[in-house]
Amino acid sequence: MKEMKLGSFEETLMLLVGILDKEAYAFKIGEEYEAQSKKPVSIGAVHSTLNRLSKKGFLSSEMGLPTAERGGRRKRIYKITAEGQRALEQSRDFRLSLWNQFPAFSGRKFKLS
Amino acid sequence: MSKNYPPKWAEKILLTFLKEELAEEVLGDLDEKFYSMVSRYSLRRAQRNYWFQVFNYMRPFAFKYFKSFPISTLMFRHNFKVGLRVLLKNKVFSLINIGGLALGMTVVLLIGLWIHDELSFNKNHENYDRIVQVLRKDKEDGMVEVNSSHVGQLGIYLSDNYPNLFEEVTMTFYRNNPRLLTVENQTFDQIGYFFRPNAPEMLSLKMIAGTWDGISEPNGILISESLAQKFFGKENPMGQAIKMNSSAIFTVNGIFEDLPVNSTFGDATYFASMDRIYDDENPYTWTNFNMKVYGQLKPGVDIANASAAIKDVLTENRDPNQDPMDLLLLPMKDWHLNDYFQDGAQVTSKRMQFVKLYGIIGLFVLILACINFINLNTARYQNRAKEVGVRKTLGSLRSHLIGQFLAESILYALAAFCISILAVQFILPWFNGISDKDITFPWNNVWLWAMGLGFTLTTALVAGTYPALFLSGFNPLKALRGTIGQGKLNTRFRQSLVVFQFTISIILIIGTLTVFKQIQHAKDRPMGYNQDRLITVRGFSDDYYEKYDLLRAELKKTGVVEEMAEANYPLMNTLGNNDDFRLPESSKSMNVSFNTIYVTPEYGKTTKWELTQGRDFSRELGDETSSIIVSELAVKKMGLENPIGQQILANRAFNGHKEFTIIGVVRDMIKGNPFEEPVPLMVFSNQRSKGFLFIRMKPDVSFASAIPKIKEAFVGVLPTHPFSYDFVDEEYAAKFRAEERIGSLATFFSILAILISCLGLFGLSAYMAEKRTKEIGIRKVLGASVMNLWQLLSKDFSILVFIACLIAIPLSAYFLNGWLQSYEYRIPIYWWIYALGAVFCFAVTLCTVSYHSLKVSLANPVDSLRME
Repeated sequence: MKEMKLGSFEETLMLLVGILDKEAYAFKIGEEYEAQSKKPVSIGAVHSTLNRLSKKGFLSSEMGLPTAERGGRRKRIYKITAEGQRALEQSRDFRLSLWNQFPAFSGRKFKLS
Repeated sequence: MSKNYPPKWAEKILLTFLKEELAEEVLGDLDEKFYSMVSRYSLRRAQRNYWFQVFNYMRPFAFKYFKSFPISTLMFRHNFKVGLRVLLKNKVFSLINIGGLALGMTVVLLIGLWIHDELSFNKNHENYDRIVQVLRKDKEDGMVEVNSSHVGQLGIYLSDNYPNLFEEVTMTFYRNNPRLLTVENQTFDQIGYFFRPNAPEMLSLKMIAGTWDGISEPNGILISESLAQKFFGKENPMGQAIKMNSSAIFTVNGIFEDLPVNSTFGDATYFASMDRIYDDENPYTWTNFNMKVYGQLKPGVDIANASAAIKDVLTENRDPNQDPMDLLLLPMKDWHLNDYFQDGAQVTSKRMQFVKLYGIIGLFVLILACINFINLNTARYQNRAKEVGVRKTLGSLRSHLIGQFLAESILYALAAFCISILAVQFILPWFNGISDKDITFPWNNVWLWAMGLGFTLTTALVAGTYPALFLSGFNPLKALRGTIGQGKLNTRFRQSLVVFQFTISIILIIGTLTVFKQIQHAKDRPMGYNQDRLITVRGFSDDYYEKYDLLRAELKKTGVVEEMAEANYPLMNTLGNNDDFRLPESSKSMNVSFNTIYVTPEYGKTTKWELTQGRDFSRELGDETSSIIVSELAVKKMGLENPIGQQILANRAFNGHKEFTIIGVVRDMIKGNPFEEPVPLMVFSNQRSKGFLFIRMKPDVSFASAIPKIKEAFVGVLPTHPFSYDFVDEEYAAKFRAEERIGSLATFFSILAILISCLGLFGLSAYMAEKRTKEIGIRKVLGASVMNLWQLLSKDFSILVFIACLIAIPLSAYFLNGWLQSYEYRIPIYWWIYALGAVFCFAVTLCTVSYHSLKVSLANPVDSLRME
């Protein structure tokens, strides 16, 4: 049975992949994570997670163009697949439905898509 | 600046454990991280961070030996892309390559379908495994003869006394003539079977309407779907009346789905009940061998045991003074392909030989096609050598190169397979025509596709392995420098393949010519009578037998009929054999079996037999019942010097007499198998009507005008008798059908073999000519004529074909001699057929090779020499 749930780190990375679009490769994703969450992360950890998400079918990847600062090496660009998109939406909807049931927030309905 | 590089050691450590396919992206990311760290913080911090990053890559997914099998389609795609480019770059070569392979595959597919059809004969019957035919062994002239004709009572006896062996026993008539079926005013000549009522169930007929019990009442008849369509169209056929042979009336009690053509009863358009003919008043006998007996064994009964159990039944129940006849059972799976016995033992039948022969031919044609493929690929090795050199220099492993070449060959084979499937679609109707089959392409047969693809891949591997191994083995340095020589071994290999191809082609050509010569030989043989403009009508109604004179007078009155006669047997067989005759000076009967027929006095004038001595029968002389006319062979067999006036005695009465006088001798008449020796003929005459009517039309009238007039006269005399006729020459031509089929198929195969061989040769010669362009240019500059050059280029191939001839001629002589031995009336081994085969092959080779050699020879040497 394939794991369809997204972990918190996984979800964050997926969103970052979406945000970075054409620039979504391990190094850039790691940088962006550090910049937005103010927490350090190793590229290895990011790469390993991206690899796992690819195997689950949430991400696809292909080799991009080489640049000079990489010593002329190519980078692997990640993209969210339709399945990944669905997993993200599910995760968000689950959170939102929980928030909406939370009495402290009653009256402040969050809209479900 | 050197310090600005990421720490070397860290990188090295990373590469020791990191998966190769990840190295590029990971190193790139780390470099980028490093430089961004350098620009933001200190070099030391960047270096520390690099180490940190490297250690953080020690995760399972990144480890080398932690196998996760990356499915890299990249290499496949690359291989196929290059393969496709090579294919498109050399269009002519690719066309020859794929075309040749496609031809080969088409032949193999067709032969495969044909063999499958032969092997699945009768498999439509549900009880296929348990149905048997009862045969008997007779001793004749010291030889054991296996026959299928039986006495009717045998079937009844087996079914009554062996219920533990047989679930059902059924019988049908041994000789099954077509019968005339009439509904209202439509009459058709139809083949059908009279069976005991249990047959439809045993044969598991697929009923569209009615049930298997439809013939349990004697007047019931089951008709095929197509016959129902023919007679009744959209009307409901059930319960309708059908008249058979203008006397018996049957009621349609069921409609069955037409049996497939490849089954023993595939020609059945109806099934009717034996009970209609045999009942308590007219029982089955132990004396008349006019039936075939079939049985269905009980489940679990072993055929050999059952055979042994019933072996003596016939002998025990017949007159004890008669020779014993052993019974045996032939399972349904052997009916079609293994029904041939010699001296009582089952031997390979002609059909089975053909199945094997065609199988072998198919295999050979495929081999020819593969050889082309190998030849063309290895011949082009110099063009590919540079490519191999470059690839190897760039780090390609030998296995990669083998993969590359195999991918190309798979690409070619798949293309060929697709083409051949299309080709088979187009050829099948025609192929069915010449092979007398009803094969359809089984689109939804999984096995076909599995086998087809399996065999495409096998072909690709067989054809691609040699070039792949050969080409991938080059030393890159030599390959790039272009110093890889001709390679004696490689040339020899290629030459022997060409010789092999042409050997097979020549054998096939000679075989085809021989088959046709043999058929023509039999067609041209003197027949002893004239078949042209002769039609035959079967007569059976009661009034027919009373109106001979009237019918003859009326027919002659039409002005289109030259003469008319009747006989008790048709002209197309040698039935009616008797050996009870002796010469007056001897008390022992002659050991000669005569074909004895009864005719009306006009028989000779109608058939135009060739009288060599004596005189013909004559109506004016009254009933000549004690006169006989014999054939030349009969005279020879009896050892008579002066046959005319010779007395012949019979042990029992023929034509009402026991003493006869020969009044005439005729040339031997070929009535039976045209490939066999004639049989000694003895003709009796009387003026009574007989079952087979012959009408000779006058030479100057057209069939179109004569037939209606004859029909009018016939129907005028016999209003209830259907007028259904056959042309004697057409019936005779039908006897050649089996041989002609072999001939057409042999032609088909040899044309293909030649075509494939020529395609290969064309490709090879193109390549050779191209390689020697410069040499030719220099020779031309030095004064060689076009003729000289043409000779030079054609010589190589001619020698190969010559060697092929040397091998093929004795081989084919050996095989064909064996084949011809199976015919009594045959051609000798004509040397000119062999010469013709060889010359034809030479001519074809020269034409093929000449295209390229002339092209090169005629070219302006400036063009070829200017290139460098």
